[in-house]
Amino acid sequence: MYISLEGISKRYAAVTAVDEVDIAIGKTEFVSLLGPSGSGKTTLLRIIAGLERPTTGRVLIDGVDVTDLPPHKRGIAMVFQEFLLFPHRTVRENLAFPLRMQQLSKEEIASRVAWAAGILSLEGLEDRYPNQLSGGQQQRVALGRGLVAHPKVLLLDEPLANLDRELRQEMEVEIRRYQMQLGIPFIYVTHNQEEAMSMSDRIAVVSKGRIEDFAERSEVYDHPKTAFIAQFVGRSSHFNGTVSAVSSEGASVDISGVKLHVSRNANLKAGQRVVVFVKNEKVQLEARTDTARANSIDCRIKDIILRGAYAEYILDAPALGAELVATRPRSETVFTAGQEVRAFWSGDAPDIFPADKAA
Amino acid sequence: MTHKTKAVLLLGIPTAYLVLLFILPIISLIVLSFWKTESYHLVYEWNIQNYVTVLTEGAYLTFLIRSIVVSVIVSVLATAIGWIAAYAIWTYGGRFRLLLALAFAVPFFTGEVLRVIALQGLLGPVGLINGTLMKWGFAPVRALMYSNVASGIGLFYLYLPIAVTVIYLSLLNLDRRLIDAAKIFGAGGFRSFIEITFPLNLVGTLIAFALCFIPCMSATLSPRFLGGPNGTLYGMAMAQQFGESGTWALGAAMGVILFLFSLLAVVLIASCLDLRRTGFTGFGRN
Ligand SMILES: Nc1ncnc2c1ncn2[C@@H]1O[C@H](COP(=O)(O)OP(=O)(O)OP(=O)(O)O)[C@@H](O)[C@H]1O
Ligand SMILES: [Mg+2]
Repeated sequence: MYISLEGISKRYAAVTAVDEVDIAIGKTEFVSLLGPSGSGKTTLLRIIAGLERPTTGRVLIDGVDVTDLPPHKRGIAMVFQEFLLFPHRTVRENLAFPLRMQQLSKEEIASRVAWAAGILSLEGLEDRYPNQLSGGQQQRVALGRGLVAHPKVLLLDEPLANLDRELRQEMEVEIRRYQMQLGIPFIYVTHNQEEAMSMSDRIAVVSKGRIEDFAERSEVYDHPKTAFIAQFVGRSSHFNGTVSAVSSEGASVDISGVKLHVSRNANLKAGQRVVVFVKNEKVQLEARTDTARANSIDCRIKDIILRGAYAEYILDAPALGAELVATRPRSETVFTAGQEVRAFWSGDAPDIFPADKAA
Repeated sequence: MTHKTKAVLLLGIPTAYLVLLFILPIISLIVLSFWKTESYHLVYEWNIQNYVTVLTEGAYLTFLIRSIVVSVIVSVLATAIGWIAAYAIWTYGGRFRLLLALAFAVPFFTGEVLRVIALQGLLGPVGLINGTLMKWGFAPVRALMYSNVASGIGLFYLYLPIAVTVIYLSLLNLDRRLIDAAKIFGAGGFRSFIEITFPLNLVGTLIAFALCFIPCMSATLSPRFLGGPNGTLYGMAMAQQFGESGTWALGAAMGVILFLFSLLAVVLIASCLDLRRTGFTGFGRN
């Protein structure tokens, strides 16, 4: 593997910011570190960059142990969440900075800077100072400064956090394109799951300094390995219940008297307390009928939130004593607020975890 | 209170202060410099003789040039050493940073006269250094006894704390993460100092220099107590006009010349300085 972290931990006095992390990243991979605030993502990135020394463990880049190398000898580049453009240098000089440090020729520097200004639509702004740019423009300069360097790996710390939604989505596509163009790994820190989903090959879900799972993005989404991931990735409703029976077909779960069938049984034992997650888009709706249906619950539509092509139905399920949410394409039957409906899902929709490990 | 009255009050008070305590005395000094003094009396007779005297009489020119040389050397040294001290505190001071920075100001508490006298005790013929040397049978260091070097040391000692404090405050304003960024993009320690740390503190450095240089030019105590017979500096000569000699008008002319000289120096430096190249944000976001 091109980049490896082996047994990396970082402790600050009482806080363990990073806890025994092992990951290996391929040469052309786009990897996201996804986790909530304070989970240790930035610390992990700073350790790879050499800005922070790990308390234990080794960092290898391109087969070389760089644990003891200072940042400027690692051949990396980074896009900072706060941009950190040099305020006393113009856009052109900011972009040229890494290239000057690499002692490239004037022509090479000029052509790479022109390339970056071109792809990032910064033409005409080259002679401005950072404080004469909008937030989005500064963001793009910061990104450009990382790209022109042609580093061994580009580290990105929430680089799109300050952009509006539209620009962000545009940039997501662009960033992925540059990554493929340069053929180098990108390690992308974010707490925004949509960002991670839209760009990454693999996603490392970080929680409390640990890697909960490091897998293909679809794997992380469709088959969450832990309750934390089920909770954090995607939008879902969850219920606490007890396993009433286990068979080779799966498990039956009792949730305040309502019986549900879960076709994955995840080594459960009868009597065990569990948490069941159902992704919003896997919850289907139909008008009330008398015909029986497995995994269905009578609900009342409390509220409807429109999200473009989708409608989000907030459902009140008195039998469960809980709320649940169904996200349906608006091309489907449209229900109205206050309507009595029936929510249902297929047996393989829920993800089930022992309750003691619940998030 | 309306926005306008607030603005008038807030801007008016400092303006009034400036007019009263700065502009008016300067004007009266200028007027005085065009009169003359005869045997301890002021004669209200317009003339430029004072300026002719200062600018043509060898002694005053010598004092002026000597002052410039001493002030430049002292200010350059104070700024350089100030940088090292401030940088060390900023980098390695840890929890004690504020305390260390304040420690440099401790000598201020005793007042300028005492500090110079204390130095006289250290550098003079029977002072700590030469006294000890002689006790051990060595020859005393003559350069330290009542000389320009001694008064330079005095000035350095007086104004180093200002340099340290100003540069330290300037460094406090610097976002350390910019240095991280420079390192990430391939700059080593020295290189990131040259590319980032120094230029972003250039304004602070120049202010530190000016705050040493200007009082050095008008210094009276250090040359008087430490400078010896050949150590008269411009400021000391100027003070004498108002004291022993009673030639106030001439003193006023010297003051005006010093003022113009300092102004010129500041304007020259400022005109060579592109504030944007220093990341100076004193004007806010534009
Ligand atoms: N220098 C430090 N000293 C002490 N604790 C620190 C230090 N740096 C980080 N921490 C702690 O380590 C943990 C991880 O911090 P880190 O900045 O890596 O989180 P993060 O995942 O990047 O969060 P965010 O999404 O908010 O940026 C936090 O609990 C934080 O308080
Ligand atoms: Mg962070």
